[in-house]
Amino acid sequence: MNALTSLMDGFGTALTPINLLWAAIGVLLGTAIGVLPGIGPAMAVALLLPVTYGLDPIGAFIMFAGIYYGAMFGGSTTSILLNTPGESAAVVAAMEGNPMAKSGRGAQALAAAAIGHFAGGMIGTVLLVALAPAVAELAVDIGAPDYLAIMVLAFIAVTSVLGSSRIRGLASLLIGLTIGLVGLDQMTGQQRLTFGSLQLADGIDVVIVAVGLFAIGEALWVAAHLRRRPPEPIPVGRPWLGRDDVRRTWKSWARGPFIGFPFGAIPAGGAEIPTFLSYVTEKRLSKHKDEWGKGAIEGVAGPESAASASAAGTLVSMLTLGLPTTAVAAVMLAAFQQYGIQPGPLLFEREPDLVWGLIASLFVGMVLLLALNLPLAPVWAKLLHIPRPYLYAGILFFAAIGAYAVGGEVIDLVTLLIIGLIGFGMRRYGLPVLPAIIAVILGPAAEQQLRRALQISDGSVSGLVNTPFSVTVYAIIVLLLAWPLLKKVVTRRRAEH
Amino acid sequence: MHHVAHVTRPHRALRDPQTIDRQVVAFVRLRTPLALLGAAVLVLVGPPLLTTGSGTETGTQIPGLRFMVPNTPGGGYDITARTAAKNAEDAGLTHNIEVFNLPGAGGTVGLSRLVSEHGNGKLAMSMGLGVVGAVRSNDAPKTLADTTPVARLTEEQDVVVVARNSPYKTIDDLIGAWKENPGKVPVGGGSSPGGPDHLAPMLMARAAGIAPKQVNYIPFDGGGELLASILGNKVGFGVSGVGEYLDQIKAGELRLLAVTGPERVPGLDAPTLQEAGYDVNFTNWRGIVAPPGLTDAERDQLIALIEELHDSEEWRASMKQNGWDDAFLTGEEFGDFLDAEDKRVVSVLKELGL
Amino acid sequence: MTTPTTDLSPAPAERRSWLRDHSELGVCVLLLMLGVLVLTDALTMDVDIAQRGPVGPKTVPVVVGAGLLVVAALLAVDVVRGGRGQAETGEDVDLSEPADWRTVLLLTGVFLGSAVLIEPLGFPVAGALLFWGAAFALGSRRFDRDPLIAAVVSLVAYTVFNNLLGVPLPGGPLMGVL
Repeated sequence: MNALTSLMDGFGTALTPINLLWAAIGVLLGTAIGVLPGIGPAMAVALLLPVTYGLDPIGAFIMFAGIYYGAMFGGSTTSILLNTPGESAAVVAAMEGNPMAKSGRGAQALAAAAIGHFAGGMIGTVLLVALAPAVAELAVDIGAPDYLAIMVLAFIAVTSVLGSSRIRGLASLLIGLTIGLVGLDQMTGQQRLTFGSLQLADGIDVVIVAVGLFAIGEALWVAAHLRRRPPEPIPVGRPWLGRDDVRRTWKSWARGPFIGFPFGAIPAGGAEIPTFLSYVTEKRLSKHKDEWGKGAIEGVAGPESAASASAAGTLVSMLTLGLPTTAVAAVMLAAFQQYGIQPGPLLFEREPDLVWGLIASLFVGMVLLLALNLPLAPVWAKLLHIPRPYLYAGILFFAAIGAYAVGGEVIDLVTLLIIGLIGFGMRRYGLPVLPAIIAVILGPAAEQQLRRALQISDGSVSGLVNTPFSVTVYAIIVLLLAWPLLKKVVTRRRAEH
Repeated sequence: MHHVAHVTRPHRALRDPQTIDRQVVAFVRLRTPLALLGAAVLVLVGPPLLTTGSGTETGTQIPGLRFMVPNTPGGGYDITARTAAKNAEDAGLTHNIEVFNLPGAGGTVGLSRLVSEHGNGKLAMSMGLGVVGAVRSNDAPKTLADTTPVARLTEEQDVVVVARNSPYKTIDDLIGAWKENPGKVPVGGGSSPGGPDHLAPMLMARAAGIAPKQVNYIPFDGGGELLASILGNKVGFGVSGVGEYLDQIKAGELRLLAVTGPERVPGLDAPTLQEAGYDVNFTNWRGIVAPPGLTDAERDQLIALIEELHDSEEWRASMKQNGWDDAFLTGEEFGDFLDAEDKRVVSVLKELGL
Repeated sequence: MTTPTTDLSPAPAERRSWLRDHSELGVCVLLLMLGVLVLTDALTMDVDIAQRGPVGPKTVPVVVGAGLLVVAALLAVDVVRGGRGQAETGEDVDLSEPADWRTVLLLTGVFLGSAVLIEPLGFPVAGALLFWGAAFALGSRRFDRDPLIAAVVSLVAYTVFNNLLGVPLPGGPLMGVL
């Protein structure tokens, strides 16, 4: 069947008033719950699963899609305003978004994020419609050596966020790698740095690390140096994006999806690595390099767009292969099974109404999300007008409830505080926080892929470079590393002529 | 504090100013204790009033019953618990069972918590073979012998699958190549070492005369990530639950070589390992345990609830949808079964040196 | 760098100020200790599994541990040569005054105390104490208002998580009594 006609039929399904209502409720609920600390999209979808039990499958999945996108957006709201990311995909949003909010550009940051989500979701969903079968096949061909090559590329990219002092950036990176080591070894089950504690066996959640380093670390740092004179209220500024902002960000919005979508579709992808890669790409390409770290709007727009597109990519693998690439997809897969529907190779033939209705409702949900959140951005931004003691008390409170609610373990709060104290020390001695967080995300993933690749090749090192994809990536890396050198040679030649 | 006086000023003209001032001062002094009292009342009395523990404890009704899931949302125990909770509510057996996740270390974090809730008759944990393995491979301080066994609910065979274009056409092809060079035939499984998808290929290896230590086992994060590696021929073969790959097998994307249980799976054209001449009898199962120290009445009530659930239309329908086989076993018998499984796991893991 | 002085009496003071100037060396010591910890943990791990290829469960920890030692040494050299990490600035941060350790300790204590109190007193009580305590530590002295705000915030959060979302939180000693 032609994808386009099917999609039109899908819109017929999605645009019935009742399904439109489900989409709207889903988006609202998703945003509201995504804003809560400690509750990421996977948790949100799992918690709201019972709400949909009374609905027919199509209505239920339309609502789910709304919840998924809504929760992802909600997660970045707290990340930007309060420096407390609710989930791992929103960690990057805090890096530039929070400084923007602090300098009175919270509304713009939220608007850039909202439009980023819209653009990323739209482009991602178009790619989903156009490329689903092809991407699905490609996703299967990506193996451990290819992942490893991408991770190496990402580690090279980390050097551009090490900050002004390389050695301090490296120290931060190593602290992150050490935190990433904690837990059972994924391949053999050896305990590493757990000191016999079962609570540490699954490692330290990257959200706990991010909230600890960002939110707790900052609250303590501010406490130590709180301005004693009455603080100037954070300027409100214009509530909307100015023409200048749009000129700076439209390319970032457009670029994000092409980084996010493929990562969403591949089995070990997810949203963390693409959001980070998008951040680094935007930083490289930005004409305003001096603003990075102090609130560069491209640093919010690009990663958010990438995150949203990666969610669309996730749906590709889930719908066509029955392959859950993220926790949310795993929950949605379970939800499909509740209705006796098995996503996978036969889904498009068996349930065309459902699948195309769902895809069409993604477009609808995206429009609703934008319509809902753009006007709300200035309202959210007012949150920062709360007096400082209450604001930081609130951040501590919500960071604590988020860390506690997930597992109900007091030890998680102690871990959070210790990481917060590390974050405090890092601020004091000028160790950048960013490399540490990236190392927590990348380190364990890179190790796992490295060792998996070696196991697949039965220990032979050639197993790391035996695919065209990995060789290509390594070639790119060599070029990137050699580029400054080549440039020097070329310019010298020119000078000689 | 001046604003208080400011607010009350309009009254001042009406009465004697001095008494007013005294009242104001007294009020101001009272405000802090009042605020403290109000706050204390809110946080102490609020929660019990907000949480209506309505419903009486008759028959299968257990008000405030909670199911703990010792792994993440979307995992096997999660689906079992949420399905059971929903079916029990739909069948009118009990109100609103709360399901919550406490993941960690293959389920042993949840298990420790369950054991520490001594005598709590309103808590139950969904679990399965994976928890038995995790207890042993993590050397967890609490074992399933410390719990009150309630019931085994379902079981599921594991399948041995390869990609459509794999060189291995039959189980004998595969095991032949595997025996020749175990390292060159990596096995993918959806669980960490000690879990069900790890135990199954180890039992297979033992039956085929391969030393379990020679097996090149690669753990993946659940059946999804593993699927991609099987389809892309990254691993020699994969082992996972039959429900996970039913569709891919039916669509012809995966070739099913054998099932690990004692009987063939209806509708699937593949022998059991025993039929193929390898002495393996392996099924993954899931069940429910409760905290230790329950009274007999509390335990019987939980078992009664699960029995009613098991007999309900809703549960039957769910089992069919999810491709689960019925494996109902309650109370003491389930406890004996847990012991036997534990011994089996220990013997395999010992050979592996885990 | 200090210049050696012939007069002995101010030496201790001077040494103290040298240490204060070079307090970043503490970071090096911490990194060093962390490196030693990671290396010890890795080298005492007993690996009894057939390892395939050059990378086993010990490899990455050994690399990270060694890296920590190297970075600690390099950072120490940098600090002694006069390199300084730039303390982070921000809107609410005033670096012209020395660090207010009392507030930091108070906040840390409040956080830890509330964490410990969650199980016995319930989340609403512990949460309210955390909020109020943090606000107090950060300079808010409205005793007639802060406890009420804290109680309401905590109770609302409790209700949203516990009652609306079904994420169970301990309710406090009066649960089941009333």
